[in-house]
Amino acid sequence: MRALIAAAAGLALAVALVLAFTALGSAEGETSPEPLLTTVPSHP
Amino acid sequence: MRRKASLILLALAVFFAALSPLLRWYAYPRLAKVPAGQYQDMVLEAKDATLLDYATMTAEKVDRITVVQTLKGDVEASRKVERTTDRDVVVWDGLSYVQGPDGEMVSSFPERYVFDAHTQEPVHAAGEAVDGDPVRRGGIEFKWPFRTEKRDYEYFDAQARLTAPIHYEGTQDFRGLEVYYFEQTIPWTEVPLPKTLPVEGITAESVAKTGTTRWYTTVRRFWVEPVTGAPVYGEEIHREELRGGALLGDRDKVTAFAGHVKMREDYIRHTVDLVGSQRLVLLLMTTYLPWGFLVLGAGLLALSLYLEARGRRPGDPVPAEARASEPLSA
Repeated sequence: MRALIAAAAGLALAVALVLAFTALGSAEGETSPEPLLTTVPSHP
Repeated sequence: MRRKASLILLALAVFFAALSPLLRWYAYPRLAKVPAGQYQDMVLEAKDATLLDYATMTAEKVDRITVVQTLKGDVEASRKVERTTDRDVVVWDGLSYVQGPDGEMVSSFPERYVFDAHTQEPVHAAGEAVDGDPVRRGGIEFKWPFRTEKRDYEYFDAQARLTAPIHYEGTQDFRGLEVYYFEQTIPWTEVPLPKTLPVEGITAESVAKTGTTRWYTTVRRFWVEPVTGAPVYGEEIHREELRGGALLGDRDKVTAFAGHVKMREDYIRHTVDLVGSQRLVLLLMTTYLPWGFLVLGAGLLALSLYLEARGRRPGDPVPAEARASEPLSA
């Protein structure tokens, strides 16, 4: 019984961690203030 | 004490074993996406190109033509489209600005491309356009999907406003990265005149009135890193002609542009470095961490079982407390 509880705790922690990590998501960012270029940049 | 340790190890074993598939099949598909606010520029060059002088309407050889391509994510526009489509969407405003050898503008070609941030499939929304004309893209443009497959894709050609297959032609090594090589050929096709022409007073409408039409053909080549779906190198063998009409006098056609357009060397190096680092992040989520966690989980499980087995071995001495509580018998 104790083994079952330990396994369930491990599983719940993994699911909670991945759900939280995914909910945070990757940053969208903001629209860049840089213009669409009409001059040749000297370097990237 | 051993029982307690084995239970903790068991919990950790299940934690890591569960994390492995959750990361690969739950987190990765949701987190791998093109950021809505991305901004990037690219410089391409065509050396020894042919260019039309609109003042004399004759084709001339020039040392170099430079194409400056910018892609800029419009985050507010993508949020607006997301509200109506219920998908993660990216809206890119693009500009291909072409300069002649003297630095003067040859053409300026704007686009708005709306696509799914995860799959890179085009999303049809108001504002999707090429050079001011509304279009409906039937395929990808600029970027391939994450985990690019070894197959042909539908690719949108902005000049011709049509979607055609781009063929997978094999796997190659490009500066240390494994890449998939794709090629698309657009045969001679009549295409609209650009809205912005390099000579004042000459417009697309005024040229069209003379009966002159614009034709275009290209061979488009991309070397795509398959984990990210990002092209690390691109080339185009591009030809344009003006045909017929009063503008050309007694000539049937004149070359408007001909050149082999290639990415500038410093941008190739920058792109290879950038894609290499993004590839590593994606591989961590799809391969390295899932397999690492699985192996770690198996190891911890084995250790837990070993401790549990040792705790239960029949030859072990009985604890003193247990001995003391045993009943005496005569």
